[in-house]
Amino acid sequence: MRILHIGTDSFGGYGGIALYNRELIAAMASHPSVDEVVVLPRIIVGPLEPVPAKVTFVTKAARGRLAYLNAVRGAGRRFDLVVCAHVNLLPIARLAARHPLLVIYGIEAWKPLRDPWSNRLIRRIRGVVSISDITLDRFAGWSQYKGPSALLPNSIRREWYGIRPTNQNLQARYGLAGKRVLMTLGRVVAAERYKGFDEVLDVLPTLDADISYVIAGAGNDVRRLKHKAISLGVAERVVFTGMVTEEEKADLYNLADLYVMPSRGEGFGFVFLEALACGVPVVASRLDGGREAVRLGELGQLVDPTSRGEIRMAILDALGSGKKKSIPEGLEFFSFENFERRTHTIIDSFTANA
Amino acid sequence: MCGIAALFSYGADASPVDALEIKAITERMRPRGPDAGGTWISPDHRVALGARRLAIIDLSAEGTQPMTDVRGELHIVFNGEIYNYRELRARLEHLGAQFHSQTDTEVLLELFRRDGAAMVDLLRGMFAFAIWDSRSRQMFVARDPYGIKPLYVADDGQTFRAASTVKALLAGGRIAREHDPAGVAGFWLMGSVPEPFTMFRSIRSVEAGTAFFVGEQGVAQIRQYYSVAAALHRGVHDEAAARLVQPHVLLRELISDSLRHHLVSDVPVGAFLSAGIDSSALVALATEAAGQPPRTVTLRFDEFQGMHSDEAPLAARYARQIGSEHVTRLVTRDEFRGDMPKLFDAMDQPTIDGTNTWFVSKAAAERGLKVAISGLGGDELFGSYPSFKDLPRLIAAARLPLAAATAGRLSRNPKAQAVARYGRTWEGAYLLKRGLFLPEDLPELMGTDAAREGLERLSILTRMRVAIEPDPGTPFGRVAALEASLYMRNQLLRDTDWASMAHSLEVRTPLVDATLLRQIAPLLMVEKQRCKAHFARSPREPLPDFLTHRKKSGFSVPLAEWMELPADGTSMRMRSWARVVMEQWA
Repeated sequence: MRILHIGTDSFGGYGGIALYNRELIAAMASHPSVDEVVVLPRIIVGPLEPVPAKVTFVTKAARGRLAYLNAVRGAGRRFDLVVCAHVNLLPIARLAARHPLLVIYGIEAWKPLRDPWSNRLIRRIRGVVSISDITLDRFAGWSQYKGPSALLPNSIRREWYGIRPTNQNLQARYGLAGKRVLMTLGRVVAAERYKGFDEVLDVLPTLDADISYVIAGAGNDVRRLKHKAISLGVAERVVFTGMVTEEEKADLYNLADLYVMPSRGEGFGFVFLEALACGVPVVASRLDGGREAVRLGELGQLVDPTSRGEIRMAILDALGSGKKKSIPEGLEFFSFENFERRTHTIIDSFTANA
Repeated sequence: MCGIAALFSYGADASPVDALEIKAITERMRPRGPDAGGTWISPDHRVALGARRLAIIDLSAEGTQPMTDVRGELHIVFNGEIYNYRELRARLEHLGAQFHSQTDTEVLLELFRRDGAAMVDLLRGMFAFAIWDSRSRQMFVARDPYGIKPLYVADDGQTFRAASTVKALLAGGRIAREHDPAGVAGFWLMGSVPEPFTMFRSIRSVEAGTAFFVGEQGVAQIRQYYSVAAALHRGVHDEAAARLVQPHVLLRELISDSLRHHLVSDVPVGAFLSAGIDSSALVALATEAAGQPPRTVTLRFDEFQGMHSDEAPLAARYARQIGSEHVTRLVTRDEFRGDMPKLFDAMDQPTIDGTNTWFVSKAAAERGLKVAISGLGGDELFGSYPSFKDLPRLIAAARLPLAAATAGRLSRNPKAQAVARYGRTWEGAYLLKRGLFLPEDLPELMGTDAAREGLERLSILTRMRVAIEPDPGTPFGRVAALEASLYMRNQLLRDTDWASMAHSLEVRTPLVDATLLRQIAPLLMVEKQRCKAHFARSPREPLPDFLTHRKKSGFSVPLAEWMELPADGTSMRMRSWARVVMEQWA
């Protein structure tokens, strides 16, 4: 069996979708009936991670729009399954297959696409694989899609994380010694003011003075949030880390006593899995995909992100529990092995009647 | 849902609480809670609690009130429903709390023990309650954010009294019955008595969204923990969240969530159904949430037959479409005349509305329902009232002095003549739009001295101004805040309470939900009146054209015909009806 993966980024990519695609490609390639997975990346921004066996990674596809178009055309049509790993690429995926399998993640699929043609193409897809129920519901809500679908939530490689001794350098760099630490990690950009940074900042003045808040990430909204912290009188208790490298990420999570992200725009919320894999308890949102990352409350607390009272109380409950850090057993649900098994089932079901 | 009462002799010179008084107050509220009742008096006779119970959640005797916590330290009387009590209970159990019942009442006790006064920030529901904390010797009193459930208090400086109705407090026999000119003036101006005033000087309404303690020095630490204006104000700054999701999909999510919470019950939940979008869409979403349609009820009046205001045929048609077990209940003039004494007895404070809810609640109760959901609040939420268009126009016109003066001269309508006087501010324009009479009319209606005192203490324009602080930022937001904080609170919700409870029916309002407003405010600020059409599209089967294309009509009854009311310059002859109502309080 041959599979074509048409996606925005994967190997050599940065961010949540790239990571998801790398895992998806690896899981597809490990299917016993799959002989080859041809991957056409739209962009490559960094050094390539090792590409799994059976994967043909076509780097020249990322050289520009025309190159990408040529790569898709040149890939031919002899594939048993064409995976369109971003809804914006549906028109291009159509060049390779009449009925591609669409993968959707979050906000990119929550509203109609800009061009009507792409919206119409949704009627012809073979099926939809969604990272979460909420993304699938919101997608079906506007598109009226009623065809086959499958859920494939993120996976977490626990071996990359774990409960670690405090990284003293990192702790000193951010002045967190002796503090109780709240953390949110994500892009800090004005166009994405739904991550929950503002909400946590709003409750910080009502919490004990030894509680600090680490905003981990970079973006053009940092300045506004710094001003806000000053106006709330908590500037000394808020740490802005700037861009976090992959190498330091696990150590950074390990500095936190609680990961809090009362967001409204997460399709899933992989960061919750990362924090949990470091033994850090989490507070997630009831109003977006975060609730599925914490399995509707089994792995972490859920709050209404519009309620400062709930956020405050959840923080107090977690910090006051006195429990030692531990990695919840339920996190196994998101293991790569389970992700791989789900991916294989999806491949089997969407190729059975092709 | 219940009727509750509390007495606290906090003053050093106060007499001990009187067992007969708490019994008399509680007994006056029997229709609010026919299933059970009881009183509790503290060992030192400084505190008395009383309750009548309409059993909805945990029908067993474990739910009887007044209720005491497992440690015997906290005592509560509670009226209403906490819709998120299961989530709260799970959290408390996780933190080690133990429960002996399945009630939301007990959750309130444990929540108070854990979080103290901050507990109100966590509640989703309609409620009024009093908790006696024997450890600190304080009473904690709270009322829900919108003021769905009523609570009245009287404080003579020695003894604090509270009850769900004004008439129950009076039934205790210890409170002076002197009329309050501010309450009377408020009724003539607005057609209902604006809180915190009542018809009696000695009785005040606990304001919506507030909580406070009563200690040995009396009432202290009054905290307003919620305001509609503040929720809308915040929505303006949260637009990014609203733009992420298709509006009808987001409405579907959030309103379905509200509905799921409002359907929590151990008895069947029915629904009021009209031919309007709000009730129809709610019934459709409730059908999806529960897996089967609720039993539905609509009123019909011969006087409206063949007219646009007759909603019965279209409501019945939609009920058939969704397969609900539906009843169209005919109400006649004779029935109304026969019910009038009971209706006025149940009417807790004078109001020109409530007759509609009286009969639809009666019809629901006749079908054996104890709970019904209502689309009340949709017009305030989605901007369906004419005021959403009229107020901005009125203000624009009033700010053109020549136009306002000319309109006043040319028109015989007293309100048109007052445009230049009142129309330049949002509060003034709202008074003009919603007012039954104008302040200038009051000396004739209640006497010069009473009118002067009443208007001064009432300060109606100041109260309206407060309803839009902090500024919701847009004309839509300001009118929404005014309508929800004044008309809906003082009239619709209060009337719904007395008129439904008289039939031992609990009316639930999923669109009047502080959590929903917080969540939906960003979308409202972006989409404004378009939200109504989005709401009609929100069920999996969008509402049919025969409902969405129908011009809006109010939920009215033919009072003018039944009462042969004289013409009074208003289309519904409500000024004449107000005079009839006020005679009951003479």
